[in-house]
Amino acid sequence: MLSNAREEILGSIRKHLAASGPFDAGETNDQVVQSKSHDFEIKKNTESLIELFAESLEAVDGHCVIVNNEQEVIDAVRRILVDLRATRLSPKRMAVSDADEIRYLVESMSSELDEVAKAPSATELFGFDVGLTSVQGAIAETGTLVLEADREQNRLISLVPPVHIAVLDAAKISCTLGETLDALYRDGKVSPAITFISGPSRTADIELTLAIGVHGPQELYVIVKRAC
Amino acid sequence: MNHLSSETFDDNARSALADVQLRGALRNATSLFGKRRLAAAASLQNWEELRSQARSIKDEVLLHLDQYLEQFVANAESRGAKFHWARNAAEANQIICKLIADRGGKKIVKSKSMTTEETHLNVALEAAGMEVVETDLGEYIIQLADETPSHIIVPAIHKTKRQISELFTSELGIPPTDDVDKLTATARATLRDRFAQADVGISGVNFGIAETGTILIVENEGNIRLTTSLPRTHIAVMGIEKVLPRFSDVDVFLKLLPRSGTGQRLTTYQSFITGVKQDEAAEGPNELHVVLLDNGRSRMLAHPITRQSLACIRCGACLNACPVYQQIGGHAYGSVYPGPIGAVITPQLVGLEKTAQLPYASSLCGACREVCPVKIDIPRLLLHLRGEITEAAVNKRRWEQLAFKLWALVMSRARVYRVSAKLGGILQRLLVRDGKIGKLNKSGWLAPPLLAWTSGRDLRPIESKTFRDKWQSELKQRD
Repeated sequence: MLSNAREEILGSIRKHLAASGPFDAGETNDQVVQSKSHDFEIKKNTESLIELFAESLEAVDGHCVIVNNEQEVIDAVRRILVDLRATRLSPKRMAVSDADEIRYLVESMSSELDEVAKAPSATELFGFDVGLTSVQGAIAETGTLVLEADREQNRLISLVPPVHIAVLDAAKISCTLGETLDALYRDGKVSPAITFISGPSRTADIELTLAIGVHGPQELYVIVKRAC
Repeated sequence: MNHLSSETFDDNARSALADVQLRGALRNATSLFGKRRLAAAASLQNWEELRSQARSIKDEVLLHLDQYLEQFVANAESRGAKFHWARNAAEANQIICKLIADRGGKKIVKSKSMTTEETHLNVALEAAGMEVVETDLGEYIIQLADETPSHIIVPAIHKTKRQISELFTSELGIPPTDDVDKLTATARATLRDRFAQADVGISGVNFGIAETGTILIVENEGNIRLTTSLPRTHIAVMGIEKVLPRFSDVDVFLKLLPRSGTGQRLTTYQSFITGVKQDEAAEGPNELHVVLLDNGRSRMLAHPITRQSLACIRCGACLNACPVYQQIGGHAYGSVYPGPIGAVITPQLVGLEKTAQLPYASSLCGACREVCPVKIDIPRLLLHLRGEITEAAVNKRRWEQLAFKLWALVMSRARVYRVSAKLGGILQRLLVRDGKIGKLNKSGWLAPPLLAWTSGRDLRPIESKTFRDKWQSELKQRD
């Protein structure tokens, strides 16, 4: 019966571990290495974190724009759209996530495109060219964006449209992966869905030739906003 | 397509060696990944420390696997995940088919999972009348071609873009092209429709974190993100050994896995999924079902040498480093797990009777051990399995036991040895031709059990004058 499977598997684990006992003496390395590794010089200064983040992001084919305030964010998005119009992506419809921090962009961008929609449904999303989200964190050493699904509906907007534009508050950048993991683990819990994004979607499955934008976005822009 | 069997490894390897195109592709892939891995490892100052740390975390988990599994399950259940335990592949497939049928599902999108390759899930789903599509580009290609993966990280490494173009032309109706971007865009467009219509998404699991009940899946393409966030139901298939104790342990493994696999600092996407959404209106599936698969894994816990097989994080580094894999590729191993790690895992999963050639598919050079991010001593495991094969066979080979008893008798008595050497020197005249015992020399064959020695090389005959004879005659001359 399937219902016994759990007990049977756990029983089999215990039985075989017990059988291993006599062989384990002198075999296993009891010394559990618990120390946290610091392979990287941890940077705390925001400006150096921004610089490192931008460098790492560009190394994985993402684009980084650094700005100082909301108006400059709006200008940066405009410039990105202008640049994209020169490519075959030529955006017409933009989806913006439900995050409060970027609500101003829905209003200010509506004249730039055929449609700017706030948090469209999953099925509608397939017709959009650009997805705009905020992010909940970033890792400077790898150029990674950190998205937490319980803070913002950003799982699909950051994934389905061919272009993803993310707005990142500079204060949210951590230096290392380890620091980020510590920050995500709160009161013994983590968000139901956390996504790390380092650059646009990629594959090398055909003759190891790199192709950008296989299932996710082809272009990733991160607008880093300094705290003012 | 004929799927190869592990039982015929030697023959499979021979035909692979004759495949010039395959060997070229393998040379490119394995050397490229090998170089990238080295560079990526060098980007961290404490690579060796990280490897030791990773291994000790894995050892800790495996020695208390029952406890960590129960903790993982309890924490994930408290966040709304449902668990299903499967003792073997058939049970896992049955559970998954039933889950889908109960929900009236028919259309399934799947992301790459070695574990579901192991259970041959797609065959079971298709037999149950479901439509399943692999969404990883490499897996999609081999599904269209009705083949099996030949590399853990690059499943379609054995296919050229021209073959892929021909495949897409016949299966998807596109004009022939050698533009990789066009081929990729074709797959994207075709698979988008499948994603949009899918009832169920099936994924694998890279790590299950006991402390939080989280499953972590890593990828580059984005198909795992689509598979795990678009359909209403997500089914994740996970080997019981994939547990990590603490959320912070992810740090070590996310440093090692991408660097060892593709030489990246991080893969493009990591999805950490903990139970299901709390808010009905939020994005993401309504249900998460995790299928925990044993299928021979718990047996490997019974000895510290075999237990280390369960530390494997499926990075593929040992494949790229192996001089045998580099020449023959993945299919020859006749199993979803190829290369050095496959040569030790496959026999343990399916039994040595059907895989007895695999532990010998190695020169024991140790390159795999050198690159393994969790320090699995694969050569030692290979020797351990060879030992088991020999022990199992020894009772069937009475003549061999007799021969070695005789050998021991001769070697431990000086007088008997002396006489035997003389006798041997005389008797061998029946075999020696032109000063050699060998195959080329047709009349000089050894009898069948000893033929293995001379089928590939000549054997030097015993000297007619032994050392003792020479010693004695020298002494006499001096006198």
